[in-house]
Amino acid sequence: MVTYIVRRLLTAALILLGASFLVYLLTAASGDPLEEYRAINAANKQQLMDARTELLQLDVPPPLRYFKWLGGAAQCLVPFAGTCDLGKNIVGQPVTDALGHALVQTLTLVTGATVLAILIGITLGIITALRQYSALDYGVTFMAFLFFSLPIFWVAVLLKEFGAIGFNNFLRNPEIPLATAIGIGLVLGAVIAVAVGGELKRRVLAGGVVFLFVAAILIYFSATEWFKTPGLGPVLIAIAGVGLAFAVTLLTAGLKNRKALQSSLIAVGVGVVLYFVVQPLLDQATFLMIVLLGVATVLVGLGIGYLVGGYDRGQSMRAAAITSFLVGFMVLLDRFMQAWPSYFNNSRVRGRPIATIGASTPNIEGDFWVLGLDTFTHLILPTLALILISLASYTRFTRASMLEIMNMDYIRTARAKGLTERTVVMRHAFRNALIPIATIVAFDIGGLIGGAVITESVFSVRGMGFLFLDGISHVDPNPVMGVFLCVAITAMVFNLIADLAYSALDPRVRVKA
Amino acid sequence: MSQPSQQDEIMAEEAALPQPPAAGIEPVLEAKGLSQGQIVRKRFLGHSGAIIGLVVFAFIFILAFTSVGYLGIPGWWKYNHEQVSPLVNDGAPTSSLWPLAWGEHPFGQDRIGRDLFAMTMRGAQQSITVMIVIGLIAGLIGVVVGAVSGYFRGWAEAILMRLTDVIIIIPALLLAAVMAQMAGRRDSGSWFSAFASTNGVLALGIFLGLISWVSLARLMRGEFLSLREREFVDAARISGASNARIIFKHILPNAVGVLIVNVTLTMSAAILTETALSFLGVGVKAPDTSLGLLISQNQQAFSTRPWLFWFPGLFIVLICLSINFIGDGLRDAFDPRQKKFNAKKAKDAERKPEPAPVTALDGPGDR
Amino acid sequence: MRFGRISKAVGVAAAAALALSACAGNSGGSTPSSAAAAAKSGGSATVVEVNAFNTFNPNTADGNTDINSKVSYATHSGFFYIDNKLNVVRNEKFGKMEKVSDNPLTVKYTINDGVKWSDGTPVSAADLVLQWAAFSGYYNDADAEGKKGTTYFSYAGDPTGLALTDFPELGDDNRSITLKYSKPFADWEIALGGPGIDIPAHVLAKKAGLADAKAFVDMIKGMPRGDAKSPKPANKQLKAMADMWNTGFDTKTLPADPSLFLSNGPYVVKAMNQDQSLTMVKNKDYNWGPEAKLDEITVRYIGEAPAQVQALKNGEADIIAPQASADTVEQLKALESQGVTVEVGNQLSYDHIDLNYSGPFADKNVREAFMKTVPRKDIVDKIVKKLDENAKPLDSQLFVPDQAKYADSVKDNGSSAYQDVDIEGAKKLLNGATPSVRIMYNKDNPNRVDAFSLIRESAGKAGFKVVDGGLGKSDWGKALGDGSYDATIFGWINSGVGVSGVPQIFKSGNDSNFNKFSDPEADKLMEELIVTTDKAKQDDLIQQIDKKIWASAYGLPLFQAVGVDAYSDRITGVKYMPNQTGVWWNFWEWAQK
Repeated sequence: MVTYIVRRLLTAALILLGASFLVYLLTAASGDPLEEYRAINAANKQQLMDARTELLQLDVPPPLRYFKWLGGAAQCLVPFAGTCDLGKNIVGQPVTDALGHALVQTLTLVTGATVLAILIGITLGIITALRQYSALDYGVTFMAFLFFSLPIFWVAVLLKEFGAIGFNNFLRNPEIPLATAIGIGLVLGAVIAVAVGGELKRRVLAGGVVFLFVAAILIYFSATEWFKTPGLGPVLIAIAGVGLAFAVTLLTAGLKNRKALQSSLIAVGVGVVLYFVVQPLLDQATFLMIVLLGVATVLVGLGIGYLVGGYDRGQSMRAAAITSFLVGFMVLLDRFMQAWPSYFNNSRVRGRPIATIGASTPNIEGDFWVLGLDTFTHLILPTLALILISLASYTRFTRASMLEIMNMDYIRTARAKGLTERTVVMRHAFRNALIPIATIVAFDIGGLIGGAVITESVFSVRGMGFLFLDGISHVDPNPVMGVFLCVAITAMVFNLIADLAYSALDPRVRVKA
Repeated sequence: MSQPSQQDEIMAEEAALPQPPAAGIEPVLEAKGLSQGQIVRKRFLGHSGAIIGLVVFAFIFILAFTSVGYLGIPGWWKYNHEQVSPLVNDGAPTSSLWPLAWGEHPFGQDRIGRDLFAMTMRGAQQSITVMIVIGLIAGLIGVVVGAVSGYFRGWAEAILMRLTDVIIIIPALLLAAVMAQMAGRRDSGSWFSAFASTNGVLALGIFLGLISWVSLARLMRGEFLSLREREFVDAARISGASNARIIFKHILPNAVGVLIVNVTLTMSAAILTETALSFLGVGVKAPDTSLGLLISQNQQAFSTRPWLFWFPGLFIVLICLSINFIGDGLRDAFDPRQKKFNAKKAKDAERKPEPAPVTALDGPGDR
Repeated sequence: MRFGRISKAVGVAAAAALALSACAGNSGGSTPSSAAAAAKSGGSATVVEVNAFNTFNPNTADGNTDINSKVSYATHSGFFYIDNKLNVVRNEKFGKMEKVSDNPLTVKYTINDGVKWSDGTPVSAADLVLQWAAFSGYYNDADAEGKKGTTYFSYAGDPTGLALTDFPELGDDNRSITLKYSKPFADWEIALGGPGIDIPAHVLAKKAGLADAKAFVDMIKGMPRGDAKSPKPANKQLKAMADMWNTGFDTKTLPADPSLFLSNGPYVVKAMNQDQSLTMVKNKDYNWGPEAKLDEITVRYIGEAPAQVQALKNGEADIIAPQASADTVEQLKALESQGVTVEVGNQLSYDHIDLNYSGPFADKNVREAFMKTVPRKDIVDKIVKKLDENAKPLDSQLFVPDQAKYADSVKDNGSSAYQDVDIEGAKKLLNGATPSVRIMYNKDNPNRVDAFSLIRESAGKAGFKVVDGGLGKSDWGKALGDGSYDATIFGWINSGVGVSGVPQIFKSGNDSNFNKFSDPEADKLMEELIVTTDKAKQDDLIQQIDKKIWASAYGLPLFQAVGVDAYSDRITGVKYMPNQTGVWWNFWEWAQK
């Protein structure tokens, strides 16, 4: 195992060396660095060209320049020496600094999107696999392929037009006309009716319930101007919590496990009580505090499960922990919603919260909640765009993997044993289907920091992709090389991790020692 | 670089490969007296999504290649994509649904009066060409590299796989930028520049093909790795078959499903790659055109002259969707492990005999 | 329409040249009265820029992007600024700039009492001396190959004017300097001291290890003019200062040391968010120039025009000036219903087609025939009419319509012969010949591509075989003047009106004379032009040169680039400006409603 890893790392280093040489030469050959000076008629045209030539060392042939660069880059291998030198970009900023900044920008942009895309994609994949060739399956497949086929700059323009500008205009006077409310309800109801499957009666019933529910909520929202002063409140948290408790128990333990249900419900009760307790605390929230509270919530859930016990204590603990985490999340959400009016009326925001560009409102001041909301309103559109286009691969892949597993003999055996469908799906099939998905996730995380070039440029986020593109457009190898190094190294490391994880998860696969 | 998902899918599938099919038994229940080809065809024809995709794609293909002509053969449409004609109706589309009529410029015109229908058709031609070239090249190289490294292993595998590693980590965008620059050089450069400048789209397709074979090669290698250990290969070897014969006659036919499916996926991803590259200014160059170039050139026209944006976009989406569905159908048809699907039963529209589709959310186990 | 990133140097040179030739004679010493006095003070505005700010010294070769100059403009003041009619407007509250004598040309700069940096240090003669030292390249002694000698300050602008001066004479009060030119120099008025004195000498001196600004002045006073023929070892302290000047002000985050971003203008930088935004607030001390109304100006960086428009629509931006295209303008016009004001105007750059004086075009008849086929009206209609309804083909090689002299020149320069396409006339001139001509242009610029398509279509009718010689964006610039083509379509930013700009393009053998136009009489006129300081005489000379150029069938100017800016209903006082300063030229008049 160790020899395997060492060997992999060694080859990776060699590959990196070779590829970086190629990339450097390619960048140097990709354009004319003096283009902007060619057609000017200033008397000092030559001086300007000379200055640029000196800055980029254009008089040194690219292969030699590469080795100069390599000399600086090699110092990055010395740990903690702080001698890392990746050169400077065309505006004189050290590439290491530029990279650091760009990395943060990119990660804030893509992390949420990737996590959500994975979660949603896997869920949809499982559901479509379980309902192969149903209307739902075709619908999801069609939508996934459709979104996948849309060029992202297109999606971005549409999202900005309707998701930001349209929604902000709506917020100015958040009234939903009755007809619209009913219309939205009808559409959603129809979708649910088609998606839910089963007999006609069941479909109509489900569709009808959803229609009534959605329409009623929209009318309620409109009447109370909920969008201006949103909030959940303890009552809603309690009701939704009970629903969640049932759902979580169903998925993790099965409703037959009364003890698990009990502990989940207790967790909801505790959550609602704590809702009032933590409010003053939350007013002074910091990010660390939220994280600690989150951990505490899970621990409380585990504790409840442990105390309630039952024949399968583990299941109870798991159900209660997940439930309490979700309830905690709702409390958090509620607190964010409470901060909404103050964010909305902030003099920097001026009542148009959803942003089309950038990562934050310049010069905004406020507490944790306002700043959090600010980040959220800036991230929501690019995140949506990225989720839409990357959903397809997760959905399709999970579906294929799940279908394959569902046809395995051991699944048949499990069914034959008389296990409930829940146990078969959740415990036997799902976990095994996740094994190949783990590798795709690892690959994706490896590719994350490359940034999303086009998404970054349309949402004017200056991350890794922008740095890379800007370097290419100025024929400036240093930033290009910086981005390349980061991306290549993470990609290779995560490839290795993916392989190792695979062999760890699936005992049939062994790495060659 | 922008939409990596399909590549991932291919790569992840490769990761999934080492799993041997269930106990190595081919489920032949529904295949009584049918050859592999017949089964595949039946299954494919039973996949309505794939059939619709096929029909749509065939329609677009014929429309694109007959309307504005190809390779010097004139088409039936009166304009070509370079021809400038006076603006009619301020460039807005003249076609209408009621009364159903084409009019002079059914898709409208761009600002200097080129006919958008002709441009879209030309763009669709180019995009389809790019797609097919990529499919062919990537497929060919992928199969050869994958087969050689998977079958012979040893140093051949080591070298080829390291080569794929290098190609995978070199950013495609950078390569495209270099390519575009060389193509822009016309006759001052080498034979390559000369070729690239006169056959911009073809060159782009070849270039993209040359870098997109890597995932396919890895996949084929995995397939070969597992297939070469199978009994029928041993049998062939013992009976004295040459390596070439084993590769082409015995192993490849068994891997062809994976191959075709992934080639189609690579192809649909390729159209989007072309779009992205054109958006970034390193893809197809004016005055030639492609669907990607058309919408990126006209993205600012989104709210003012939307037809410039919607029509080419519609065609991209249609081509992509239909290719994806065809690929999806092929995947289902070729996958021997897909027992659930049964062409006859699908025709009867009966519910599957296997467990009723109870999802986890439906309620506690009622059975 | 713009050629990649347009350097500030070029922009200022163009503006300056244009400004001078336009109004050198009549720019009085008036400080503008604030026109929008009705609007109240206070409030804030968000302005969108394409590039991200990266240095507090916008004069260096690497730092001269438009955004750096704009921020510098808002945070510094000087003896003059340029208004949107391209006049040089003096700011007498800051100081006095006077021509003491015509022969030799002598200019005296005096800074008023009370003008100070935001750290309290008065703006002094030393700051002017520093600017002079940097802009003149006086001490540089690097030879052409750059192997020997030293280049101290890496200045992006044109040093020709100040290179004619010797070390300035300092006034006793440490508030004035006097410059003496060895030759008459028409651009004296904008050569030094504005629009901003942007680098504080006392800070630079300290950072370089000198005691104070006086020590710096004393040090360089004694140094002789650099001589490339006999380079001397570099002066260490001056080198240290120059290095500081070159790169020491580069930053993307607000420096911890406030002396690195001292202001002596209406605003002072308060916050910087790397690659996202920059915020300026009012400079409390400032009272030596036009008074700013807004309390705060925020600059945000958005690269793409559609994103800028949507940001304006969504209220995230108040003032934008995106790259103009028909669709951008239309989109902006559609926003007028929501209170947005859109301003469209000409820019100083223009596209033109130049014919080589060699190959098939060596014959003047062929050149004339080709010019007759160029569908200029059609090109304007299809490329710029959508943006600017009043657009017309440009009819002078040296003037732009904003200038009074344009109409005069157009009347008799011979452009009237090329108003409409004249295929018959062209055929007659060609006399049955069908010359094959290769046109080179930037294939990555859609305007040029479209112009080429239209020209090819039209020229073909007269019998020309037009070969598409378009090159990619990284190659077309290199190909200029290499003889691989017969005609080329591209743009000049300097519209050729400037005294120093004219010979650069049109004098025989000059660097930027790509088509090898050569006319001994025109050369003589141009020589006279560059030493003429009298405005009326300059115009006269330029008019004569214009005529000569047209008479030799040089090629055709096509159209001026169109610029656009737009601002929301929260803001008043924004005015269109054709040069690189853009809307920023009168930032002090911006006010919140």
